[in-house]
Amino acid sequence: MPAGGYFGRALVADAATGTSATLPLADEILRAYIGGAGLGAWLLYRLGTPGAGALDATAALAFVFSPLVGTPLTTSAKFAVVAKSPLTGMLTDALASSQFAIAGKLTGHDAIVVRGRAPQLSVLLVDGGGTALLDARHLVGRTAAETDNELREQLGRGWRVAAIGPAGELGIRYATISHDGRHAGRGGLGAVMGAKNLKAIAVRSAAKVATADPRGVIAAARDLRERSFGPATAKYRELGTLANLLAFNAIATLPTRNFQAATFDGADRLAGQATDEAVEGMRRVARSSCASCTIGCEHIYQVGRGKKARVEYENVFALGPMCGVGDPDAVLAASARCDELGIDTISAGGTIAWAMECAQRGLIDAPWLRFGDPAALLRALDEIGTRGTPLGSLLGEGSRQASRTVGADSASFAPHVKGLEMPGYEPRTLHAMALGLAVNTRGADHNRSGAYEADLSGDLDRLDGGDAHVAAAIETEDRAAIMDSLILCKFLRGVFTDPFREWAELLASVTGWDVTGEELRATARRIVLAKRVYNIREGWQPSDDWLPDRLLTEPLTLPSGRVATLTADRLRAMIDAYYSKRGLDHDGRPVPGTVDDLSLA
Amino acid sequence: MLAGGRSSRMGTPKAALEWHGSTLLRRTAGIVARAAGGPVVVVRAHGQELPALPQGILVVDDPRESKGPVQGIAAGLAALRGHADIAFVSSTDMPFLHPAFIRRVLRVLGDSESTDVALPVARGFRQPLAAAYRVSLAEIAERLVKEDRLRPAFLFGECAVQELDDEALRKDPVLAALDPDLDSVVNVNTPADYQAALARPAPEVTVQLFGVLAKGGGKSGPHAVRAATVGAAAGALGLVLDRHVTAALNGDQITRDGETPLVSGDTVFFLSADAGG
Repeated sequence: MPAGGYFGRALVADAATGTSATLPLADEILRAYIGGAGLGAWLLYRLGTPGAGALDATAALAFVFSPLVGTPLTTSAKFAVVAKSPLTGMLTDALASSQFAIAGKLTGHDAIVVRGRAPQLSVLLVDGGGTALLDARHLVGRTAAETDNELREQLGRGWRVAAIGPAGELGIRYATISHDGRHAGRGGLGAVMGAKNLKAIAVRSAAKVATADPRGVIAAARDLRERSFGPATAKYRELGTLANLLAFNAIATLPTRNFQAATFDGADRLAGQATDEAVEGMRRVARSSCASCTIGCEHIYQVGRGKKARVEYENVFALGPMCGVGDPDAVLAASARCDELGIDTISAGGTIAWAMECAQRGLIDAPWLRFGDPAALLRALDEIGTRGTPLGSLLGEGSRQASRTVGADSASFAPHVKGLEMPGYEPRTLHAMALGLAVNTRGADHNRSGAYEADLSGDLDRLDGGDAHVAAAIETEDRAAIMDSLILCKFLRGVFTDPFREWAELLASVTGWDVTGEELRATARRIVLAKRVYNIREGWQPSDDWLPDRLLTEPLTLPSGRVATLTADRLRAMIDAYYSKRGLDHDGRPVPGTVDDLSLA
Repeated sequence: MLAGGRSSRMGTPKAALEWHGSTLLRRTAGIVARAAGGPVVVVRAHGQELPALPQGILVVDDPRESKGPVQGIAAGLAALRGHADIAFVSSTDMPFLHPAFIRRVLRVLGDSESTDVALPVARGFRQPLAAAYRVSLAEIAERLVKEDRLRPAFLFGECAVQELDDEALRKDPVLAALDPDLDSVVNVNTPADYQAALARPAPEVTVQLFGVLAKGGGKSGPHAVRAATVGAAAGALGLVLDRHVTAALNGDQITRDGETPLVSGDTVFFLSADAGG
């Protein structure tokens, strides 16, 4: 009898045949890795073929649910998609929300893992009857949203669809998997699915799952719901993450023109705070939320009477200031285009910004590709999304691989860590975040390492990285490991005052385990370490835990006159301290004994 | 920062005197820390009780009492050996001390390796306790104390001093704009001085609000307010610094410490503490 909230099994499907088998998941594994990103790391280690390429037929693609999915706990309708990334060659895990999580879990599985390659473009169907392949050749080139609509019409009620857009079919290395307009966005999971000839996975509920303490769960859900209306979520509720834009610009933390600056003159127009149509800029016109969420962070924006689009800080940063584009119409159009193509906005913006700098320096023969030019941004996206030109094909590889092709010194300003393009947090003015970005197993990532929280807390000097920053990076990494495995939305994080203990209580009420906050701290360390062990198996090298040269050699002068410098020596010292505190050797590899409880063998 | 004086004319320890929401010591320490960009040492008399200080300030005991400022300078410079090459030496009783003044004085030693002391002669007086010294002068200062030659003039007689009169100080356009009367060197020695300082308004600063704090028409600012501390600036706009609100001082230092001192010309951004995606 599995613990509450679990089925105690994963479905392992073969896309080549449409058949599947059941993989029992022992209670001790579930307790060790919980679900979501944690359980996904374990599954990928166990089911991925060591050394296989991310786009090989044998590669594993895991959709992982969690014990909280299906409960009334707010923000718990989430799932993780985990695979080897075609951008980084290492583990990537991206989260998405809404009904696919609930229907996917209620197929009767804690995870659905896909291996193999379908003979033609197909849809993998999963429900209580098992798995089947559906011919999807009529969906070639369709957007994820179009695919979702057509399949739900074709399959009937109850089916939920996660699909790829044209970019995933074409193997763009930062293609996304999308459900209901939300993306498992980072690391190229859409390309992995496309390489399996899967246009979509459709799931339908067929089972029920009980919690250990239903009354306790309901009481906890009621309490969490109340807290989700408080000040800790006000920003997300009332403004959305775009509220970061002006604040980050004010404190020189807004990466601009491929990290050549940290403030952007056109930020006001992109900030989404215009109050009427007479003001040139983006206006919020609607608000929405994921299933089972009481926060409602999705804010829909519009320019004038033009196209409406869902907007987050990261896509505005990446397609706006990062590319020097201050035209809100263009940034909204570019965001919408990324959605249609099914590509990650951060990697798209970062790669295009890098290419703009290459063009500026004469390293790429594309004089039209200029910083600040809205038409150039949109043209570059189209060329990437269709692989329509040699330049589009080059940029579809991401900035790391493209810089290897272009050569010269273009790698020194390619904005990535481990191949994953950098999010909108300037490491030179956020030293805890600099460390978090450098050592994170997924690459340059702000969701698995939220160390910027410490930089912006006032508890340490964000420009003077040292031991406190190392401790903060580890703490936020551990917290993310648990939230991403439970899974709870990060936007809830501020409502917890004693988070590990409170999360343990939630997990105990669902599963019936006598889990404590201390146990969850150990679980967090285990999950972080397991991802590192996976990466090491797949070829990680110590030099992969590093930042782009530009960030270590080009200081920034702040408006206050203070100079923000992040040197290689400072970063090295922080990484060394991080390794030491994580139980790793000088090269970042686990010392004997630290992997004993990972249950990976 | 020399906090060990006897405050005999004031009749009460000057370091603990309140000025617009903060103690003089807390205020001066915060301003010196901001301007110097390096370690800050407070020299106190042995066993002297001090008001609260911000994190990271090193407090050292003066090994010899009643030996005057040269002894305090010697103790402070000695504590900085190995941590800094030059130091701004300050008393604790200058409520109008401006970071621009400190930077102006420190820059003299940064620009000239042959100069040992940058000595303001401001508002008609030499200001040895608002001056910049090479840390290597610690040994000379210690020797002078042992020789009972306790006046700063003896120290200046044994090293290269560059004096800065009002005109020289005001050549720095930032200082000239933000502290045109060189009030930085105004100290409070007597109850009358203190009352006069209290009668002067808090500095004028600019405040801007971001995110949900700015929600509602016209709230974002900029707002001109009078406030000597970050907490007072927050209060002027009805905000409370708590775990959900932080302040960014001049777009640089981020703090939730309401006693962080402000000076004229400062800009304070109030942000949601949950900034991030």
